[in-house]
Amino acid sequence: MGAGVLELNGLRRRFGAVMALDGLTFTVPPGQVFGFLGPNGAGKTTAMRAIAGVAAVDSGEVRWNGELIDQAARSRIGYMPEERGLYPAMKVTEQLTYLARLHGLSTPRARAAAEQWSERLGISGRGQAKIEALSLGNQQRVQLAAALVHDPELLVLDEPFAGLDPAGVDAMSEVLAERAAAGVTMLFSSHQLDLVEHLCESVAIIHRGRLVAHGKVADLGQSGTLRVSVQVAGDETGRWARDLGDIAQVEKITAGTVVLVLRDRADAGAVLDRARAAGPVEQFGFVRRKLSEVFRDAVGSEVTMGPGEQDNGGLAATGTRGSSA
Amino acid sequence: MSANWWQLTRIVAGREIVERARAKSFWVASVLLLVAVAAGVLIPALLHGTRSAARVGVVGGPAAALAQTVREAGRISGTTVTIVPMPDVAAAKARLRSGTLAAVLVGDSAVLVKQQALGGSGSPGATLGGALSEVGGLQRLYAELPPGAAASIGRNGIALPVRGLTPPPRGLTSRITGLAAAILIYVIILTYGIRITIGVGEEKSSRVVEVLLTTLRPTQLLAGKVIGMGSLALAQIVVLVGTYYALGYAVGSSAVRGAAGGVVLAGALWLLLGYMFYCTAYAAAGSLITRQADAYNATLPLQLPLLLGYVLAYTVVYSSNVSWFYHLLGFIPFTAPVVMPVLVAVGAAPAWQLALSVAITLASTVAMARLAGKIYERAILRTGSRLRFRQVLRSTS
Repeated sequence: MGAGVLELNGLRRRFGAVMALDGLTFTVPPGQVFGFLGPNGAGKTTAMRAIAGVAAVDSGEVRWNGELIDQAARSRIGYMPEERGLYPAMKVTEQLTYLARLHGLSTPRARAAAEQWSERLGISGRGQAKIEALSLGNQQRVQLAAALVHDPELLVLDEPFAGLDPAGVDAMSEVLAERAAAGVTMLFSSHQLDLVEHLCESVAIIHRGRLVAHGKVADLGQSGTLRVSVQVAGDETGRWARDLGDIAQVEKITAGTVVLVLRDRADAGAVLDRARAAGPVEQFGFVRRKLSEVFRDAVGSEVTMGPGEQDNGGLAATGTRGSSA
Repeated sequence: MSANWWQLTRIVAGREIVERARAKSFWVASVLLLVAVAAGVLIPALLHGTRSAARVGVVGGPAAALAQTVREAGRISGTTVTIVPMPDVAAAKARLRSGTLAAVLVGDSAVLVKQQALGGSGSPGATLGGALSEVGGLQRLYAELPPGAAASIGRNGIALPVRGLTPPPRGLTSRITGLAAAILIYVIILTYGIRITIGVGEEKSSRVVEVLLTTLRPTQLLAGKVIGMGSLALAQIVVLVGTYYALGYAVGSSAVRGAAGGVVLAGALWLLLGYMFYCTAYAAAGSLITRQADAYNATLPLQLPLLLGYVLAYTVVYSSNVSWFYHLLGFIPFTAPVVMPVLVAVGAAPAWQLALSVAITLASTVAMARLAGKIYERAILRTGSRLRFRQVLRSTS
């Protein structure tokens, strides 16, 4: 595979009785905002830790630019761990400078980069503050700056949006889009599916350590069962659609707009004919599935998001996590 | 160990030094240690260092010979003497009674003191009087001898030399210095060691280690930490020993002359060796813990050997015999850093024992670093509850 491509090949990792990664395989192309989805315990964090080199796998390999990823390659990664990680008592600018130097930047360049990213992420006024004195949202911004300060070619961000306020979400989204446009390869995990849908070009969805869906968000939305939305003038209750049993099934009716799920191999044109027969058609169109539906289909109904788990439910699209501890 | 390996390790070490040197607790502890060392030099010097002074009257002549006798007696009795010529015996007696003179030398015939001592020589006046009496007597004897004989006695002295079958025991100053060195070594290794444990534990619990290890190898992080802390420890040793010698010479303390000075150097050497031996072990202990509160428990096994060597030092310093057990502890790298300076202080460590013990400690330091590095590497990324030593060695990653 070519430059900038991240490949995961058959990653396996077992923790006791739990199979965290079960032959996980997919590729991440460069220059795309690439989302990494899956319910709690699906193996996202384990996979990302394996890419960053802080967790071992039992078998399988991670390739970057077509070669096995090694220590030298890893110094070109910007990694944001799930449980965050900064020196609590160190000042923001010093911490970022230190991390940049560890990634090979000279001291003056490291300092300049630290200041530049602080400015970019709206924390430049807090450069002399200790991390522990910052709000969680600002700590998160520093954490992102820490992942970006050495201008990495590969970004691995574990739940970068967790704990951010709306302004923080906007800033983060903007930076991710900009980095992708700059050609950076990027993999970030998230539970906030609405956000991911809006932001990501492509996603990989994993469940129980295995890939269950992978591709461009637009393509995934059109795969699977076909839906159409139809409105017939003067029919506010969708009476016309009652006898479509042979070609489609009514999913819901909202103020005269009927959403239908087509039977296998049924022709959407047949639905349109029936609607025309009932009256003037005011609206007719295909309904693209939301990513949350793709996700639900992909991971199946057995996925439960218990309230006792650490994260918000995987399908709770707008929730933010309060703490990273 | 490529150039790049060292470069990143140096950056890690630099951060350790800067962050630690900024901590108020570091300076408080450093100043306290400095004060302790300064007090250790100055207080004994102030208590024992002042020589007693006395005014000695002389009556009659010849004045030059009498003055020489008085000065010689002052030297022998350890008294700073001031010679006060007196017109006659009556005036001298009056000054003796009033206490303004400690003793009076009357020509070559008599020594007058206020009250004769009851056997022995309890007071400076009595010792000075005794010395005056003996020196004066000898002067008179010399005068009677033919010129050649007097010169011979002057060359050879009249006292017979005393030779012991074993070397004389080290003085109390040397022994006390050895004990003080043991205390300081124990305290400094413990302080820096626990600091390393807490630092490693902090990196682990704050998860910053996950970010660091994308670009660093665990050995670099470990080496940078112990080298950084070690540089501070070394600087502290240099300052403490420098202060000790500077103050010692300034006040003319017996603590820097002879054996005691050597004890301090041995102490500095063993402090360095001890730090090198223990630092990686303390780092490994830090990689096993997840909360700062666990630091003391996790390092307890590392504290005990030094404590043993230090406690037993009291039995060695205040006795004339050193047990075989204490000698044995001097060969064990866990206890040697405290035990060896004490053995040096009591004069019970021959050169071969010193050399062998240094060699054993250095070799063990390498072995310890390997083992500790292995534990650290395996444990540093494992979160959850506190890990057990064996559990880590059995696991892979």
